[in-house]
Amino acid sequence: MEISIRDLCMTYPNGKRALNGLSLELNAPSLVGLLGPNGAGKSTLMKLLVTALTPSSGTILADGRAVAKTERALKSQLGYLPQEFGLFDELTVAQFLDYMAALKGLRDSKTAVRKAIGAVGLEEKKKTRIRALSGGQRQRTGIAQALLGDPPLLILDEPTVGLDPEERIRFRNLFSQTAQDRLVLLSTHIIEDVQSVCDRLVVIDRGRILFSGTAEQLIRNAAGHVGVFWEHDTARERGLHITARVNTSRGVRCRAVADELPDYAEPDEPTLEDAYLYLISGEAHR
Amino acid sequence: MKAVKYFSYEVKRLMRERPALLVIILSVLSPLAGLTLYRPASAGTMMSVYLANPALAGGAVSGILFGALTLYELDRTKRKRMEALTDAACPPTDTALIRTAALLPIAAAALMLTMLVWLPVSFFKIGSVMDLTNYCLAYLLFMGLALPSAILAASAAYQFTRRADLSFVLFAAFAGSSLTVWADDWQLCWLNPCVWALSDDFSNFRIFRSVAYMRLTWLTGLAGIWTLSWICVRRRGKGIIGSALYSCRRLYRPAAALLLLVCYGIGYAAQPIVDHSDPDPEVMTFAELPYLDGIVCSGRTAQVCPDTSDGTVDGKAVYMFSNSSGREQTAAFGINPGYTVYSAKANGEDAAFSVGGHQEFNEAMLEVAVPAEGDVELVVEYGGFPQESSGFSTHQGYTEISEKYICLQNAALAPRLLNVLPDEGGYPAEIEITLPEHMTVIPFCASEAERISANDGMAVWRYEDSGTGGILYAGDYICQNIEAGGIDIQFYYGRKHREVMETAGASEAVKTVVDYCTEHYGPLSFGSGGSLKLIQSRVYGGGYAGGGASLLDEEDFTSDNLNGSGKGAAPGEVMIHELVHQWWGLANMFDPSDSTDPWSAEGLTVYTAYRIVKELYGADYAEKYYTEQWRKETDDYYLNFYVREPEYLDRLPEDKRAEITGALSHVRQYCEMPLKILKAEKLVGGEEAMDGILSELFSREPDPAYPYLTYQNFLDACGLKEEDLELG
Repeated sequence: MEISIRDLCMTYPNGKRALNGLSLELNAPSLVGLLGPNGAGKSTLMKLLVTALTPSSGTILADGRAVAKTERALKSQLGYLPQEFGLFDELTVAQFLDYMAALKGLRDSKTAVRKAIGAVGLEEKKKTRIRALSGGQRQRTGIAQALLGDPPLLILDEPTVGLDPEERIRFRNLFSQTAQDRLVLLSTHIIEDVQSVCDRLVVIDRGRILFSGTAEQLIRNAAGHVGVFWEHDTARERGLHITARVNTSRGVRCRAVADELPDYAEPDEPTLEDAYLYLISGEAHR
Repeated sequence: MKAVKYFSYEVKRLMRERPALLVIILSVLSPLAGLTLYRPASAGTMMSVYLANPALAGGAVSGILFGALTLYELDRTKRKRMEALTDAACPPTDTALIRTAALLPIAAAALMLTMLVWLPVSFFKIGSVMDLTNYCLAYLLFMGLALPSAILAASAAYQFTRRADLSFVLFAAFAGSSLTVWADDWQLCWLNPCVWALSDDFSNFRIFRSVAYMRLTWLTGLAGIWTLSWICVRRRGKGIIGSALYSCRRLYRPAAALLLLVCYGIGYAAQPIVDHSDPDPEVMTFAELPYLDGIVCSGRTAQVCPDTSDGTVDGKAVYMFSNSSGREQTAAFGINPGYTVYSAKANGEDAAFSVGGHQEFNEAMLEVAVPAEGDVELVVEYGGFPQESSGFSTHQGYTEISEKYICLQNAALAPRLLNVLPDEGGYPAEIEITLPEHMTVIPFCASEAERISANDGMAVWRYEDSGTGGILYAGDYICQNIEAGGIDIQFYYGRKHREVMETAGASEAVKTVVDYCTEHYGPLSFGSGGSLKLIQSRVYGGGYAGGGASLLDEEDFTSDNLNGSGKGAAPGEVMIHELVHQWWGLANMFDPSDSTDPWSAEGLTVYTAYRIVKELYGADYAEKYYTEQWRKETDDYYLNFYVREPEYLDRLPEDKRAEITGALSHVRQYCEMPLKILKAEKLVGGEEAMDGILSELFSREPDPAYPYLTYQNFLDACGLKEEDLELG
């Protein structure tokens, strides 16, 4: 699966410009992490990819064909988990997945459902009505429906929201495994998830791509711009962006990113979170 | 394949939903409303009361329920954000189509369950005249087809608006219009078809056809509107216009919508069921046509072949004219507006003819050129589906043509001559009719129909008549020959009604009544040549008599009516009551304009029935079951709150007031008036004296300006004043 996005712009009817000339190439196999602050345009991009929206301008090609003209074909190869979704509460987990398998037109739906239930660890709950599931179990059911039929393109918008840490780790490993032979686009706010499994990061803000590359490249860009220091009154004035603040017995130990570190800050190795914040804060500063 | 699988899963999903199950249960119970709250079929036949009304109420109630369920289901996927998942798996137009379509089997399941649950109830209530075909057709057409209409309407409203509240208002307005402002327009009342009666003893194909036609035209129209709304299903984040433009890229979608709407328009405008008769009853241009100068009609024949499977008629009518005018003239005929004239030949040559657009009293005018030859044999070939008068569009079903019953009247039988005078012999007519072998032909005139041949399950009957028109009944009849009152009576009733008639001792009752009434009041005016046909007709809303025949509406002979205590203590006595109406209920005897008038046909009929019963079973019996009952009912009537305080009656809502007034006037007609007549009997000197008075009243010469027998006429004949008969 190859996705080619060219000069994509999206302006909502209320005038809000969500994407602004965005271009991107995505090739399988890959697990692409999509990062960006709230309102950056991540969900809009995903909705455009699943043809839930029509771009104001620009094109999206899937395997060389415009998705606008191959909606049915694209949807047959797509697994999608939106950020907000509802489930049919009156059905059991297995019935719901059966229903979604029918909707997707899967031939061997029984196998697909069994596999998806196994992948998300809901075997014990497969006969439980959805209305009786916890928030995390509902999220897992949502992930399971996206995995149905092993689609070559998997688009997951905040898939690990509501999951406990153990589950989160399990699922990011699952996504990583899944991405071995297909294209997975993962949007999340949890940097740790992205760092752990994504072979490529795309950072977008205000509808534009700020960075596209590996996590190492993003971290490298932040080298020399991360420092730690004891809390200092002038930190804010100097344009420092505090990324961590730890109360200790000696006082408050701060970690910050900045274009130029002050003298009282000791340089430190950047993490992916530092690098992301450095990128975003630099963009905001500009 | 994918769509079929998804459809089946959507249906399964719906069947697991509580609201859907609740709607199914309520739909199954909805015919109950037809037995209590909502009874649009006003006739008293068992099928009307226990089949038509429950099915109609079921259609109205469950139609509304399924409309609401549709809105709930469609809005739910949006409200609970399920669309985010489903639209990513399948285009929104596909899911919209399947979601609406999946409601249809749910509706079908509700209908099937309703039919299963109500079948034994209907068998129990309707009794021996219950008919499974009628049952299935009534539920399918009156109730069943209301459900897809409601689903399509509600779904279309939602797909246009994408708002549950607005859609509900639109749907409620649409359903409400059908139940109120459109209720008297048989083509517009999509939810509650205009059905006033179903026959117990004969067939109901005419009304079933009419309802089916209305339902199918509405389904076509609503399918067209739904397809338009489907085009507007929101997709790709666009609004209604953007989505519609996007969907219209597939041209078959708007083309299908347009085609369906055009079909609906044609189906609505070109409906074949009722005519376009002038609604003004004062317009009688056909009757005012001047007679042709120098042309007379010396006789006519007609060969009529009703097709009992499709309800049509094919016929050939021959008219013998003598033209002494020496010039070509145009003869005018009244013809049923549903018929097409295939050809007209005068003396073997094609004659020019035309059928005018103006229609009145269920006739269109056929004009045929009569050549300037001395003797002219005019042959007109015609046929088609006979239409009924638009003036009675909410009371359809008179022109029934089926294997069980046929009623063809005047211009529906053969073109009726309008502007040619007869020669000295009147308009002698010879009618031949070809029908299935099991049917008996009963011409509504003095003559008998003779079966002249039979072949391949069909029989040809011939009878003679006179006049320009004629009425013909045919059906699966039993005929009982009864000698009574010095005349031969042929008593015809439907074979299906045999059990009820025999239980009620119908033929004995006929003999008793005719003997008694002829002896006491005189012979019937419409008896002819020493014979009389009493014909039980399909439910008609009344009866008529003349020329040696009288119609008995089947409504008067239902087991409910015969077992009703108001008209007699036993079914046989109610039968007597209904037959006494031949003397006191027909031939312009009473002014029918005020149905609540205490002076009506019922007073004298109940009194006469009492006299007959007294003669049959003795004075004690008559006292116990008649006069005592009248006194008790009348005493209760005088004590009734609304009778004593009538100003409170005026304060009630109109329907409640009508209900109470109806009940009160029933007591006045059936109990108070017979008591007054009984009192008059004593005052005038006894039964014999009263019989003499009634005999004179019965055979009086009516005033042409107001031919009805008034209460004052009765008092004058008795030499009494109104206050003399006060019961207080």
